[in-house]
Amino acid sequence: MSTSPAAFKATAFRSELKPIWCPGCGDFGVVQAIYRALAAIGRPPHEIAFVSGIGCSSRIPGYTTAYGFNTVHGRALPIAQGIKLASPELLVLVAGGDGDGFSIGGGHVPHAVRRNVDLTYIVMDNQIYGLTKGQLSPTSPRGRESVTSPYGSIEDPVNPLLYVLAYGAGFVAQGTPADMSGLADVIEQAIRFPGFAFVNVQSPCVTFGQAEAQLRTHKAEMKKLADLGHDPSDRLAAMARAQEYGRALHTGVFFRDPTPRPTYDAAVSERRAAMASAAPSRRQVLDRFRPKLAG
Amino acid sequence: MNSDLVIGMAGAGGDGVVSAGESLMAAAAAMGYHAILTKSFGPQIRGGESSCRLRLSTGPVLNPGAPLDVAVALNWDDFLRFGAELPVGGRTLVLYESASGVAPDHLPLAGVVPAEALPVPVGALAREAAGTEKAKNTVVLGLLAGWLGLPPEAILDGVRRKLARKGAEVLAGSERAFAAGLAYAGAHPTRETRHLAPLARGTAAKLLADGNEMCAAAAIFAGCEFFGGYPITPSTEIMQALARDLWRYGGTVLQAEDEIAGLGAVVGASFAGKKAMTATSGPGMSLKTEMLGLATIAELPLVCVNVQRGGPSTGIPTKSEQSDLFQAVFSAHGDVVRPVLAPTSVADTFVVTVEAFNIAEQYQTPVVVLSDQEIAQRKETVDPIDTSRLTVVERLRPTAGELEDYARFRLTDDGISPISHPGMPGGNYLAAGIEHNEQGAPTASGEMHARMNEKRLRKLDPLKERADLFEVEGPADAPLGLVAWGSLAGTAREARRRAAAEGLRVKLLVPRLLYPVSEAAYDGFFRSVQRGLVVEQSHQGQLFRLLRMFVDVPRGVERLCRSGANPVRPDEVLGRLRQMAMALQRVREAELQPQE
Repeated sequence: MSTSPAAFKATAFRSELKPIWCPGCGDFGVVQAIYRALAAIGRPPHEIAFVSGIGCSSRIPGYTTAYGFNTVHGRALPIAQGIKLASPELLVLVAGGDGDGFSIGGGHVPHAVRRNVDLTYIVMDNQIYGLTKGQLSPTSPRGRESVTSPYGSIEDPVNPLLYVLAYGAGFVAQGTPADMSGLADVIEQAIRFPGFAFVNVQSPCVTFGQAEAQLRTHKAEMKKLADLGHDPSDRLAAMARAQEYGRALHTGVFFRDPTPRPTYDAAVSERRAAMASAAPSRRQVLDRFRPKLAG
Repeated sequence: MNSDLVIGMAGAGGDGVVSAGESLMAAAAAMGYHAILTKSFGPQIRGGESSCRLRLSTGPVLNPGAPLDVAVALNWDDFLRFGAELPVGGRTLVLYESASGVAPDHLPLAGVVPAEALPVPVGALAREAAGTEKAKNTVVLGLLAGWLGLPPEAILDGVRRKLARKGAEVLAGSERAFAAGLAYAGAHPTRETRHLAPLARGTAAKLLADGNEMCAAAAIFAGCEFFGGYPITPSTEIMQALARDLWRYGGTVLQAEDEIAGLGAVVGASFAGKKAMTATSGPGMSLKTEMLGLATIAELPLVCVNVQRGGPSTGIPTKSEQSDLFQAVFSAHGDVVRPVLAPTSVADTFVVTVEAFNIAEQYQTPVVVLSDQEIAQRKETVDPIDTSRLTVVERLRPTAGELEDYARFRLTDDGISPISHPGMPGGNYLAAGIEHNEQGAPTASGEMHARMNEKRLRKLDPLKERADLFEVEGPADAPLGLVAWGSLAGTAREARRRAAAEGLRVKLLVPRLLYPVSEAAYDGFFRSVQRGLVVEQSHQGQLFRLLRMFVDVPRGVERLCRSGANPVRPDEVLGRLRQMAMALQRVREAELQPQE
């Protein structure tokens, strides 16, 4: 693992692909923040695997120079875990939208968290389905009018922050591209955290999003948790703050486990090392089927 | 003397008939006999009825055999629940618990009078010898050792091994129970001898395995480094065996939260450069379909084993069927050709699974292995496999030169593009389920899409030329032809050999490669065929229908197929072959008649 800060500039992580995002999309800011965070981390692009699902935001791996995998809808986390467990030495990032992570792929999140695979999961939460042009998403607020809820949504949204805190994640943060340095900072902290780390990014949809949930309003209304005297080592305090999701925009670290749990990938490496020391030859594998009787 | 014996046993869950069958088989394998053991259980989680069928032979055994030479009914209700799985015939020796009060001439068997019926006080012998009815199965072993003429020491050795942890008292009781059974058999000789012919001196011991264990061993042999899966009957033993063994070889096993995640992790591991596998059954295959499509377009090697059971939906989880062929071949959106292989026996499961890894790695594609419950969960003796003759293929990596201007999906002559993986400097690329150009960049170009589709299909063409994946036995110019796959291949092999012994000119084709369909292999086979059968364990006859999609199947070739949990028997195949031979004869005679 080579981590020499300043070894890579942020631009070293920017690919030549031109994003398909609409001008003004929050995701432009997210990818910039990721470039900055990766530059601060200092791992070369070929040691990074960046996995995503399907959606506007899931195009993001292609805009980096890392090994990217733009997979299928909702399944980025299982695929990312396979990568990390196969090659624990890699830095593995996962990204997607709120639909990818909390609707079609919602069942995978608690398991990635409870295994505590050392992944950084960045959700670009815009409360709408943008790629399919404006349908209700799992984080759309009650009452939201959309093309699939023309009379207003009659269901409550999920609370991604509260869910992931309750699942037991060791690192939970939120950011917005309205505060680029704050966003790059929480992403960098998430990557550095040893274990599953979750960053919810309020990344507005400029085309189908609500007028009152754009970067301008974020800038005016966001409250930094650090300024509120929040103690990020207290999970219950974090959950109390997370309750305000949808009513207030808190940025920064909600929770960072002061005594991180052991990671699954580290346990895998240890077990492999311990058990493979007495490795028999793969070519002798049929020996186990010899009957154990004298005859 | 008998060179071949089929023994069927049934009892209540705690009676231990399966355990008795296993002991008998272990002894037979150690002596060098050939054997197949199938087990069958009621749907209860614990307890309920259980049965096993053991075929012992001095020569290779091709299928579990039917009808029974020896039937053991510890309990008639339980025995009868297995119906066609334990077929009693006119030559069967039936031994049963005399406490059932059933008279030997009033057995509860419909429409069949067995050769001999022996009521035995099994429970009483067990209580007397060991003080518990738990020793009933050991009494049965003693009875069978006596009546089959098997060396008692070899069987007792296995019993001792099994009971080693239960303490000296249990062990001594069991030895007395065995001796009581043996003595009873000695005092009550059967009318007709049921002795199994002895083997030539120096016959080598056989290996003993079931199909699922063999599949796991093959994965290890082939270099598998990652397994991700979700428990599902009847494939779970593959994951269990790898969870026990793969770590020792530096690999990793993940029990995922669901079927989708299981294959997802495998896709990830393959992207990371490792050989990877999952195993499942029909309902899991349904869930894995999308992930298989991803592996196809991202050109990632992986092996997906489907141990088939009765379907659709939950179907009959514990019984064999061959009804997932259409699913294996066609369950994909888009223009997909996904190789599908099928093993025909426990031993074959090793070779076919290794081949599946090789094809996956060579052609950068997911490969489906269609096993079935019959092969997967039956125990079979296996002749030593010469693994030095098997090759292990690795995926094509980019050279240093190719990495200078790397294009992951380069359109090469053979359609195979060198594949990098995270950690490899200079190989960075974007893998995706989205259509892409040679560099991996997303594209919506119809022209590029057509070229990539063409590449992904063309690279698999050489598979159709793999004559070694098609086994033909019998005279090349035979007018009668059989086609069978998976566990039914053994049934067809036995039927063909018996038909040939009767003088019928019949040949058999067994495909290991089911898809892509090799037109050449079938055209060559069918050239001489006027009448024939495609033998399958599915209601529709899925291979028959698949062949008719790609091949000119002669009009005289029909299906012999039915739903699972009711195995097609060799004598049924033989009967149909005889009818077909007679029909051919009539046609020939009619042709020879002078025209009026």
